[in-house]
Amino acid sequence: MDELIAILDEIRPGQQFSGAENFFDQGILDSLDLTALVAALETRYNVFMDVDEIVADNFRNLTAIKTTLARKGVKL
Amino acid sequence: MIENKNEAGSRRVLLVGDTTLDPLGRLLERGQDNLLLRTSAAPYGQVYQILLDATHAAWAFQPDVLVVWTAPQLTLPSLEKLLRFEFDSTAAVHEAVLREAEQFADAVLRAAGRVGLVFVPTWLLPTHERWIQTLAWRHGVGITNLLARANLLLAERFSGLQNIVLLDAGYWQASLGRPAHDPRMYAVAKILYSQSLFEKAAAEMKAVLRGSLGLGKKVIVCDLDNTVWGGIVGDDGADKIKLGAPDPVGECFHQFQVALKALRSRGVLLAISSKNDEQFALSVIDQHPAMALRTNDFVAWRINWRDKAENLLSLAEELNLGLDSFVFLDDSPQERDQIRRVLPQVYTPDLPTSPSDLAPFVSSLSCFETTSLGKEDLERTEMYHAERSRKVVQDVGGDVETWLRSLDIKVQAAPLRRESLPRAAQLLNKTNQFNLSLRRLDEKTFWDWTEEPSHAAYTFNVSDRFGDLGLTGLASLSFAGSHAEIVDFVMSCRAMGKKVEEALLGYLLEQARMAGASRLTASPVDGPRNGPAKAFFAAKFCDGEWAIDPARVGVPPQISLFEVTLESESAV
Repeated sequence: MDELIAILDEIRPGQQFSGAENFFDQGILDSLDLTALVAALETRYNVFMDVDEIVADNFRNLTAIKTTLARKGVKL
Repeated sequence: MIENKNEAGSRRVLLVGDTTLDPLGRLLERGQDNLLLRTSAAPYGQVYQILLDATHAAWAFQPDVLVVWTAPQLTLPSLEKLLRFEFDSTAAVHEAVLREAEQFADAVLRAAGRVGLVFVPTWLLPTHERWIQTLAWRHGVGITNLLARANLLLAERFSGLQNIVLLDAGYWQASLGRPAHDPRMYAVAKILYSQSLFEKAAAEMKAVLRGSLGLGKKVIVCDLDNTVWGGIVGDDGADKIKLGAPDPVGECFHQFQVALKALRSRGVLLAISSKNDEQFALSVIDQHPAMALRTNDFVAWRINWRDKAENLLSLAEELNLGLDSFVFLDDSPQERDQIRRVLPQVYTPDLPTSPSDLAPFVSSLSCFETTSLGKEDLERTEMYHAERSRKVVQDVGGDVETWLRSLDIKVQAAPLRRESLPRAAQLLNKTNQFNLSLRRLDEKTFWDWTEEPSHAAYTFNVSDRFGDLGLTGLASLSFAGSHAEIVDFVMSCRAMGKKVEEALLGYLLEQARMAGASRLTASPVDGPRNGPAKAFFAAKFCDGEWAIDPARVGVPPQISLFEVTLESESAV
């Protein structure tokens, strides 16, 4: 989890990511941050997100990101 | 204009493109270093509207820098046709594309006058567009051929304007080693390029900006053992170090030296800090058959058993350069750690652990960016050697006045000319210490400023019996009735300590008088490193005023000042 927070912090420094319900609804991240987040996760975990997976819901909070990565075989 | 509002001031960058460039903006804004950027991404797809219409809402941002990044298949509609094979004749398509490229160039040229600097990344096709490789480069037919011609057309059309920088996006793409385009992000958010291409683009734009703002590095200090050659010469012996073919590791170190030498030849100074016996190490440098670098390629060295931070400080003092213009290359992680902790202003990159990566590493450093490449750059090391000879004479001579007289210093003053503009702008933007106003202007803005009737600028070439120091001084005046203000007064650190500044000020006073100004003023800016300029002017002012006291100004008798007019040369 700390690793995820570090990645998120790189994209949007100084935000309260842990405990947030929905980064996008709460205005912590926007749609452009989503594309940056996908790129960062792909580089860090050597995974590939298909175009239909690049939707806010899959990355809305720490648990959702963890689940998305787990589908790609990445265990955090 | 790219003017420094103080070194830490932020610059505004307007991004204009036919796809979403916001990710680039976010990357440009990231970073805590001495280059602070604020960006605004204009709505995509309004390239022509924004470039041609100075009243477009995008300009309300008042940018210093304009980035125009377009995709050829979007901005050149006929190229899209060639790409999709929707045409009757390739010749007609080629002609149409070049016409569209002309139009684009014209629009950029129109907008260039509104900002200090324009970045235009060259046109790039996605690598997944294979087209027909058999025909891709065929003249009058192929898409690769056409794209190259369109990019060359931009280079030609922009060549007259110094403030437009055509950035090599092909180099960015090639250096990535991964896709530069991301079809998924284009589908999701009209983001054409991959995050890694944006990262590369942001890094390159920052490097070019740093270069044009005088924030580039000037000196490389390198270690010897296991850095410029393999092994420890003191232990292994001169004939056992790994250097030169046929040993592959030796060849890698040789190639590393070749890469360092190329930097030295373009004006980066090389120096050594090494824990070794000085005489022995120097003899190896000059006598080993596979050394590409010899002692005369280095401007200074500290080969001793002292602390490396102490050595760097003493090199900075000898070369009269700030530590923030230093790069330190050392194979030892401990030495690097220590320098990073003690002298954080020195750029201390990690060196690659494989010798084969050393040469590519140093050739890819982006911290030595310059806006021009002139005589002063190509001969910089020689100029420093001449300086060293002067110092030796000074040490022997003792008395400063006698030493100065023995130097036979000649200062040639001339009005600023087109030919001297690149070097003058470089001096203005790179000089930190002897700089009155720390004004940073690109070539075009500076030239336009000097063209105004109430402004005048002068350049000063300095030489002495040891050699030519080149164009080392620049000054400008602004006239208002009987009052003249010194706006710029800049002198290269190479010329410091020789009373050349006295000659420059003497000349300015004379120019002001001849133009009818009875009062000459100067307002030194309080910058972090321009102490020498502040101190010089503080001693010239009438008490409590910014006015220069003529009684305290004069060309020193040891210096011959010449005035170069357009045709003639005459002693003043």
